[in-house]
Amino acid sequence: MAAESPQDAFETYAAERLPPAADGAVGKEGRLDAAFAAVDGETRLVQDYATVPFHLTGGLDHDEALPDLSTVYLQSPTGAVAQGDRHDLSVTVGEGARAHVTTGNATKVHGMDRNYGRVDVSLQVAADGYLEYLPEPTILHADARYRGETTLSVAEGASAVVGEVVVPGRLARDEAFEFERAYTRLRARDPDGLLFEDTTDLHPAERDPRRPGVMGDHDVLGTLYVVGEAAADPLHERVVDATTARAGATALPNDAGVMVRALGERAAVSGALDAAWDEARRMLVGAPAPERRKD
Amino acid sequence: MTDELPVDESPVAALQFADSFLPAGSFTTSYGVEQFVAADEVEDAADLQALVETYLDRQIGPCDMVVVAAAHAAASDGDHDEVRRIDRRCSAVQLPAEFRESSTRTGGQLLSLVADTEADQFLAAYDEAVGAGDAPGNYAAVLGAVAARTGMTARQAALVQGYSFVTDLVGAAQRVLRIGHTDVQRIVTESRPAIVAAWEANVDRTVEELSPFAPLIDVLSAEHERAERRLFLS
Repeated sequence: MAAESPQDAFETYAAERLPPAADGAVGKEGRLDAAFAAVDGETRLVQDYATVPFHLTGGLDHDEALPDLSTVYLQSPTGAVAQGDRHDLSVTVGEGARAHVTTGNATKVHGMDRNYGRVDVSLQVAADGYLEYLPEPTILHADARYRGETTLSVAEGASAVVGEVVVPGRLARDEAFEFERAYTRLRARDPDGLLFEDTTDLHPAERDPRRPGVMGDHDVLGTLYVVGEAAADPLHERVVDATTARAGATALPNDAGVMVRALGERAAVSGALDAAWDEARRMLVGAPAPERRKD
Repeated sequence: MTDELPVDESPVAALQFADSFLPAGSFTTSYGVEQFVAADEVEDAADLQALVETYLDRQIGPCDMVVVAAAHAAASDGDHDEVRRIDRRCSAVQLPAEFRESSTRTGGQLLSLVADTEADQFLAAYDEAVGAGDAPGNYAAVLGAVAARTGMTARQAALVQGYSFVTDLVGAAQRVLRIGHTDVQRIVTESRPAIVAAWEANVDRTVEELSPFAPLIDVLSAEHERAERRLFLS
């Protein structure tokens, strides 16, 4: 008997009807479209469409090392994904534009007893464009069912730094790996086709995530994808020296760039990814990463 | 004579392609176990057994065996384009660089070998495509194609892949870890149900749903890439 595949499991969840929504409940299908364009030597947020629960700050230009880069905070008052939620985010960076997109706080995926929560993210970078997409961590509460699907498309000469941190529960209250299922996938492509694909596939009740080779005795998993003309060795050295996280860098398939993985405590993993971001930025656009404005 | 069914040689072919006697260079592959030993994360036979099971469950089953079966189906249909597409997908999901290097090096060696020995146009054309850079020549894709052209079933081919993986890994471990022949054979024996389970669990998975997931192996492989002393390519 074949074990249920993640895809089949989420189809089964999808068939579970939601209880009737309370009056005034909105935001099950949140949508956000942001588009950046290079205009007169700077980058402007030229399209900004958001439905509840999302809100986008206007372009902030506080990045002193990279004055033509536009920084945008994706805000969600709830900061959460609940059962039945389908969130759909799209970020487009136009030719020669440079943008940094992040979130104001962590995304909490709540416990669920029906259906599941899904977040789709589409990132597109046009020729010679540059995108940093570095959201705060995703926290998987007990009984959460989470499906994430991210696609990154890079045109000729484009580059991108995309990060993901998965926290397996409210660790401060000793909740770890009590969620039901998490399946996230990132697919990157260029005009010639698929560059690489990475999957996070966790179903703790069926398979112990703390096995040797999977998470070992670590809790938090962070990955930074550096797509473009990047070298693995300097990134590896930076993340090994940066924190106590168990971290390393390797060249991605199809000469796509470099992947950095880090496992450990939340602060150590975030520190390793921040160091890798700084190093990646120096390689790709010749500027250091700024101090974070939200900590 | 014409009424007789062809003799089924496929079980013998399965033995041939599962044998460490096969000159595919898999002795250069440790699947990162050299680094697990160097980092004291694998210290004895029990640790090794657990690591083998993680690999079968999270890497060989949901990725390599699915590629073997898909390449087997495409090669059975004589579909060159599809075999090359599956082969490229295999590279796209193998994120540690030295795993890709091992996989294409051993796959390329096996393919050029069978291009000489099998008198099979399909395999010869696949070998040319890899030589021309049209396909990477990953071991799992090559094995699936070879298996199809030598009459093996997809299941047989996937089990050959699983068995070869186990013997490569424990063979490498034997050279870097103090572990006896009996312990090694015990691990191989205890891996038999895990190899079959890895196939059964992924038999319906398509090549669009490859999902290897072993982040700590990824990190140790990155460390191994830069290790000063190493016996193995991966």
